[in-house]
Amino acid sequence: MFESLFSFLFKYEQLVFQQGQFVLGASRSMWLAAGVAGLAAAYVLWSYRQLAALRVRDRAILLTLRVALIGVALFALLRPMLLLKVAVPQQNFVGILLDDSRSMQIGDQDGKPRSDFLISQLGRSDAPLLTELGKRFQVKVFRFSSSAERLQSTADLTFQGTGTRLGEVFDRARQELSGLPVAGLVLATDGSDNSEKTLDDSLAALKAQAMPVFAIGIGRDRLTRDIQITRVETPRRSLKGSSLVLDVVVTQTGYAGVKVPLFVEDDGRVVSSQDIVLPGDGESETVKVRLKASETGPRVFKFRVPVQANEEVAQNNQRESLIEVYNRREKILYLEGQPRPEPKFIRRATENDDNLQVVLLWRTAEATVTVPDKYLRLGVDGPEELQNGFPQTREELFSYRGIILGSVEASAFTPEQQRMLEDFVDIRGGGLLALGGERSFSEGGWAGTPLADALPVVLDPGSRGPQYPPAELVVQPSRAGLTHPSTQIADSADDVAAKWKDLPMLTSLNPLVETKPGANVLLTGKDSRGREQVVFAYQRYGRGKALVLPVQDTWLWRMHSKMDVKDVTHATFWQRLIRWQVDGVPDRVMASATPDRVQRGEPMTLTAEVVDPEYKGINDGRITARVTAPSGKVEDVPMDWTVEHDGEYRARFTPAEDGLYKVSLGGTTRDGKETGRGSMTVRVAPSDAEYFDAAMRAPLLQRVAEQTEGRYYAAKDAAAVVDAITYSGKGITVVEERELWDMPVNLILLLGLMGSEWLYRRSRGLA
Amino acid sequence: MRRTHVRIVLVLSVIVSVLAIATPRAQRGYGGYSQSYSGNVRYDGKFVFIRLSYPWYGGRGAPWAHDWPRGEEHFLKIFNEMTATPVHVAESSIMGLSDPELFKFPVAYMAEPGFWSMGDAETRALRDYLMKGGFMIMDDFRGRDWGNVELNVSKMFPEGRWVDLDASHAIFHSFFEINTLDIIPQAYDAGRPIFRALFEDNDPNKRIMIIAAYNTDMSEFWEWSDTGYAPVPVSNEAYKIGINLFIYGLTH
Repeated sequence: MFESLFSFLFKYEQLVFQQGQFVLGASRSMWLAAGVAGLAAAYVLWSYRQLAALRVRDRAILLTLRVALIGVALFALLRPMLLLKVAVPQQNFVGILLDDSRSMQIGDQDGKPRSDFLISQLGRSDAPLLTELGKRFQVKVFRFSSSAERLQSTADLTFQGTGTRLGEVFDRARQELSGLPVAGLVLATDGSDNSEKTLDDSLAALKAQAMPVFAIGIGRDRLTRDIQITRVETPRRSLKGSSLVLDVVVTQTGYAGVKVPLFVEDDGRVVSSQDIVLPGDGESETVKVRLKASETGPRVFKFRVPVQANEEVAQNNQRESLIEVYNRREKILYLEGQPRPEPKFIRRATENDDNLQVVLLWRTAEATVTVPDKYLRLGVDGPEELQNGFPQTREELFSYRGIILGSVEASAFTPEQQRMLEDFVDIRGGGLLALGGERSFSEGGWAGTPLADALPVVLDPGSRGPQYPPAELVVQPSRAGLTHPSTQIADSADDVAAKWKDLPMLTSLNPLVETKPGANVLLTGKDSRGREQVVFAYQRYGRGKALVLPVQDTWLWRMHSKMDVKDVTHATFWQRLIRWQVDGVPDRVMASATPDRVQRGEPMTLTAEVVDPEYKGINDGRITARVTAPSGKVEDVPMDWTVEHDGEYRARFTPAEDGLYKVSLGGTTRDGKETGRGSMTVRVAPSDAEYFDAAMRAPLLQRVAEQTEGRYYAAKDAAAVVDAITYSGKGITVVEERELWDMPVNLILLLGLMGSEWLYRRSRGLA
Repeated sequence: MRRTHVRIVLVLSVIVSVLAIATPRAQRGYGGYSQSYSGNVRYDGKFVFIRLSYPWYGGRGAPWAHDWPRGEEHFLKIFNEMTATPVHVAESSIMGLSDPELFKFPVAYMAEPGFWSMGDAETRALRDYLMKGGFMIMDDFRGRDWGNVELNVSKMFPEGRWVDLDASHAIFHSFFEINTLDIIPQAYDAGRPIFRALFEDNDPNKRIMIIAAYNTDMSEFWEWSDTGYAPVPVSNEAYKIGINLFIYGLTH
């Protein structure tokens, strides 16, 4: 409506004014006439000043009307015009880029699939938009999804592409059209780009080669009825038997407040289910899902909400995630400085866990002048292990994946051993847990030591030692602690909350209150006076994590008279805490792939981080990735040291089969020593990314158009693309003059001003 | 009137004081009950020597209190000197078998179990204590006393099997290296000391729940170690085996 009115009044459509350059084309005689008109205006001004009989207001109105009238006439006399660069017919090329991905099957373009619109406008030989473009330009048509190529036949459009890579098609079109006079590129898509690369480089290259993109957004920019599993956060690897608490983010429109089940399936078997109430339209809800990694090997877990009535996109109701469940014994060194019950019960709690090995180095007597510390060793692998007490070398200490530090004073360690403890967390990436006791934390002289830097709490350097009687604490989880994997003392959220309320009080000799900025407090304790202190907190430090549990008797959660003899809370607490403590602790060879899931034929980057026993990077090694395809075919891929980072090696690999690829990485150092091996599983499968965030993405397409000096059109306005390209000024153009003196609006203004003056005079009796 | 009032107050004070002092002593006297001492050490995380009291029937002093208090007084001093255990050195506790506070002290000592008896509540409580992780040392009994020990333990663990230990067991190496049981002193007049153990789940590879120092009396040596009752080297061996048993209980 607005466009039509504009075209009627101003003779041309808006686009012409936007693209054209305004000039005055008056000849010398015209300028003379304009001068005369100017004099006439001056005379009018002077003559109105002489009419003393007129009131000031009348004089002002009449003067304004008369001057405006002369102004309009003057404007027309000066021959206003627009200079337009118009593409020369059939001398320029236009690239047409057609989205051939799966998301084009979504039926939200006037109730029909997006692909229907694309076919009807651009995908057939008789399609109107294609025909119109063909009349003015040489047309080259491309199809794109995960890859881009010239479209040989409209039958090639299948809308089965499993990805949308706008950058790929821009680069491909630019390369193919390079050197030709290009008036522009027409991009017909829903804009659901799911490439991991940014578009910036591709868009900059288009702009540099003067190839504007005229984007046509197909589909609605918001789905009306849809439930989507937006994200699932899972670890890449997990120790067998670990209880996982996973975040599943659910987004919806059109089903606010509806209760739906969320299922988790492992190989088609439902391993977890819970009801969730869907959030408001457009909002996300993060659901905590509890899951046990009970079966070894690569497991593909499916998170699924059943498809609801009238859902527009059914395929985004589920997501899959690969978790590699490994089965081995994680070795944890527990150094205890005093015979007391806590270590005994921690060991009892973990001895039935086949995946944990707590090695206890227990000082039973302190050194005298002539006799060194006396240790009891429990859980060691052989007579040599820890026979000289606490490890003296990094190599020995770093062979453990976790350390528990009991009630032992800082002075029991040499300065180098204290640095080693910090490095265990920072460099080796291990998990260190410091327990409470009369020789722990400040009370044990740990303030100011290297380890104090790693801990998530601030130690008071002025401590006067343990104060008896100890604080008796009612322990409660923080908000984060209720759902944190390390503090899940039961299997359901309700049971966890109830259990925490029912546990006996613990005691502490270490009144730790202040935490560091990066700390996460999971458990707090309150004494009878209402004073609160930290009971369990952790922070990331370097590559690892440091944990504190400044109480001395979690064993009361087993022994206390109110605890039933069959109650397993204490064992559950310690097993899950220690499992989390060593979760993610790196091995000497760590493998990763980017992206971690690809489609057949897509390349991926394999990365290996290789370190020596002291966890220093090994450079210049001979590292190979041995890749075993699902069919059993084995391929050795040499890896190159990146030079950017010590011990980092990379290789490119392109899988040719769907399924799970096993990758084993390792080799030898420059000196020929074995580095050890790391492994991972890579999943090769058709991507389902097309169905996620599947609404038409107008903002992205607008950005593409703006950055390349093109224009964005909604599907209903797609016909305007032809003129827009014609006047884009790109390619081979001729300059056309568009006269403006005869715009209808000029005549309307002239008549309107004259009529207004006449009417005013008549109404005032001045005629 | 005023003098009468003062006199009443004085008499009451004396009665209260005598009762307070006499409570543990009374338990050495006559009676078929077991109870905890009102002056027990409050739990604070440190090691406390726990002497178990039990009902008994007979005319002489409470058998569970044999060697009390000097036995533990002396032992605690040595235990504190020799080990790094945080210890209440100058005080100890007496606890009944069903005292809920017992569960805060995972190692307990019982003397003269030949006289030990217990009711259903005590049986349940002590069984729970041992199964949760508690450790009980029995000392100072011989000969036919064993039948009473077996009877009481079978109430808790009908399937329980006793195992005679040799010097290779970890309990004899938990602190001191005791490589032969021949050095363990014999307080009685015949035979050699025997260390019998009841293992968790009757599995000798698991921890010991009850250790019976049968046919000997370690605490006798502790009690009289500051006199000429036994040569110092002999008392030393009694301390060594005692420390090993307590350290084992704390660590296993």
